[in-house]
Amino acid sequence: MAQGIYFDGHTSARHDVGVTLTPSALQIAAQDGRLLAEWPYEEIESLAAPDTVLRLGRVGSAVLARLEIADPAFAAEIGARARNVDWAGRNRRRQQLRVIGWSLAATVSLVAVAWLGVPAIAARLTPHLPAAVERKLGDAVDVQLRRMLDTKTLGDGFDCGVKESERPGRAALDKLIHRLETAAGLPESLRATVVRRAEANAMALPGGHIYVFEGLIDKADKVDEVAGVIAHEIGHVAHRDGTRSVLEAGGLSFLFGMLLGDFVGGGAVVIAAKSVLQSSYTREAEAAADAYGAALMKKAGGDAHALATMLAKIGGATEPGMKILLDHPETQARVRAINAVAANPTGPPLLSASEWAALKRICAR
Amino acid sequence: MTGLDTASSAPGGVRFLGTRGAYWRLLIRGAALLMVTLGIYRFWLITDVRRFLWANSEVAGETLEYTGRPVEILIGFLVAVAILAPVYAGFFIAALDLGTLGQMSGAIAFLGLAVLGQYAIYRARRYRLTRTIFRGLRFHQGGSAWGYALRAVLWWALTGLTLGLAYPFQLASLERYKMRHTYYGDLQGRFEASGFRLLLRGLPMWLMLLAPLALAVVAFAEAVDWKALGEAIAAGTDSLGSRIEGGNPQLPDVIVFAMLMGGTSASLAALLYPAFQAVILRWWLSGLRFGDIALASNLHMRNVYGAYVRFLWYGLLLSIALGLLSIPALMLIGTIGSKMPDSIVAEAVGSGVALVGYVVMALGFSTVYRATVLLSLWQLGMESLHLSGLSALERVQASGTPSSAVGEGLADALHVGGY
Repeated sequence: MAQGIYFDGHTSARHDVGVTLTPSALQIAAQDGRLLAEWPYEEIESLAAPDTVLRLGRVGSAVLARLEIADPAFAAEIGARARNVDWAGRNRRRQQLRVIGWSLAATVSLVAVAWLGVPAIAARLTPHLPAAVERKLGDAVDVQLRRMLDTKTLGDGFDCGVKESERPGRAALDKLIHRLETAAGLPESLRATVVRRAEANAMALPGGHIYVFEGLIDKADKVDEVAGVIAHEIGHVAHRDGTRSVLEAGGLSFLFGMLLGDFVGGGAVVIAAKSVLQSSYTREAEAAADAYGAALMKKAGGDAHALATMLAKIGGATEPGMKILLDHPETQARVRAINAVAANPTGPPLLSASEWAALKRICAR
Repeated sequence: MTGLDTASSAPGGVRFLGTRGAYWRLLIRGAALLMVTLGIYRFWLITDVRRFLWANSEVAGETLEYTGRPVEILIGFLVAVAILAPVYAGFFIAALDLGTLGQMSGAIAFLGLAVLGQYAIYRARRYRLTRTIFRGLRFHQGGSAWGYALRAVLWWALTGLTLGLAYPFQLASLERYKMRHTYYGDLQGRFEASGFRLLLRGLPMWLMLLAPLALAVVAFAEAVDWKALGEAIAAGTDSLGSRIEGGNPQLPDVIVFAMLMGGTSASLAALLYPAFQAVILRWWLSGLRFGDIALASNLHMRNVYGAYVRFLWYGLLLSIALGLLSIPALMLIGTIGSKMPDSIVAEAVGSGVALVGYVVMALGFSTVYRATVLLSLWQLGMESLHLSGLSALERVQASGTPSSAVGEGLADALHVGGY
């Protein structure tokens, strides 16, 4: 027999009650001895309460009757009799361990999906994407990318080869692209441009956009070196690597953004996770583009060794954070692989000496 | 049956029983688990936090009880993801369209998500209320979540247009809607604080923030030769900046002045933020009513500042600890980088350390903020209360049923969740 406080779940009135434990049930009686309720032990559960109070209710009952016991010894006795009463906190700790276990399993599976699943889905999806959709995707990415890259000129002459003095350079570039494009025999036309960025770099977007940075033209000592890098980028276009990476980025940002939630500012984690994961995706794609580029240079009659020379030249020299061409710094292995398939030039030079000189001045203004 | 006067030992009828130490332990363990579970543990943590806060809040001698379960929030969240996934996919596809639809898609998405966010806030409030039990009876909430969302978005637009002057009236109107539809058992709530009084209390702060900005705008209007500026822009885009400068010799000075004024306004905003919070919390608490039960708060502004001082102090300690921890991490990166230059391993380790460092820092500060400012606001708010008309508590009848947790899940997925 102990004292307790009882709420019957129908009104908010508070009843001071006496509680007795029979072999099968807990009996709640009013001060005058009248029996208010009888709860079988298997139907009792403990509920959230301050540390010093045991609060009891009935499992799954729509009526929220509550009994509160403040006597710790009596509370422990109820805990010993009723399975769902967790006075010692043992059930709670076990449940917590289970939650932690399952959360860890979910984390592992999430990382696995991000690492393997998303790239696999993107790779399967990419070949089925119609060219028109890919072109639109490329145009949308193009707008974003220009905004990100064009930090100095702010739209004012970001593209080289537009001004009167730069026109011959543009003509030389067009000729070079045409020669490579013919040799490649792509189903869609390329849209190549040289832009004012000081890094020695180049990149390909979905839908045949190719950006060559001014810094790359400056670093090149002969036309085949520029051509080799462009051929490598054409490899990305032919393999639709840009489209695949856009699909991957979309899938990853959805996966992490939605699931990670807002306990931490999720945005920065999303971006960081994306960059970490993506730099590992592109290694095979880069090797494939190298192979394609070397083969294309051979087909076009150029010197495929020049791609390797250029790679070695710009290997350590790109700015940190700008590694689109060299996403994967194992340059020496790549150089060896390219040289293994490269042959000496066969046809006429890709550009004449004067055309090459004009291309070097494409960003002259 | 005993009278209520003997039941409570607190003068105002309200006490907070929890200790800071217990709350710190709960939050630190939760933060560690959040980290290793990529945030999945948040459903369990938020439930533990609410159980702690509710169970330690004593009103008229009886503590509140939170009956929400983590698994039901998790399911609600999954339902919300199922609803939102096609919506997000639609926005993604629309954004690819370069026509008017694509141009508009950003604005449409913003508006759509704003309405949905307010909808989620109202439904999440319903979830929390129906999981709150007091003296064996449930709180609950009626009303239309869409109706609330529409009101809230219109009010936000008005507040934006009036540079914040409409904000007190927005708070009062939305709170009236919420409280009018809030019940404890069969006892209907209402909200009686006046937006105009809040405006009067907040007006000095508003003026202090806006005055420097207004000065900057006036300075611009005075200094800029609009005719010369127009000509400079009309003349073309080449070296636009230098021509604008040529036509407006005072412009650099004015820009410096405007930046100073902007900085003044921003620092004032940071300094006044605790006062702003204290004013609103006190005003809000004093406006709450349930039938004959009336709440009054005498919250002191200095206590709220005290909470922020504690936050800054613990934040400083955390920064020092993180700074010391980052030394071995940087040394590790340096060693790997020098041994294997140009290697993907060095790059991956570097990115990994940066990522972990960021997560630890963000979680650390969020934990410190919860354990200092948020807990203090809850505790100070509770302890500042004085309740009258408590005899009504003897006669309340049960009413209301538990609501689904989709609102809570949606609020989590849309990042508008709260206590």
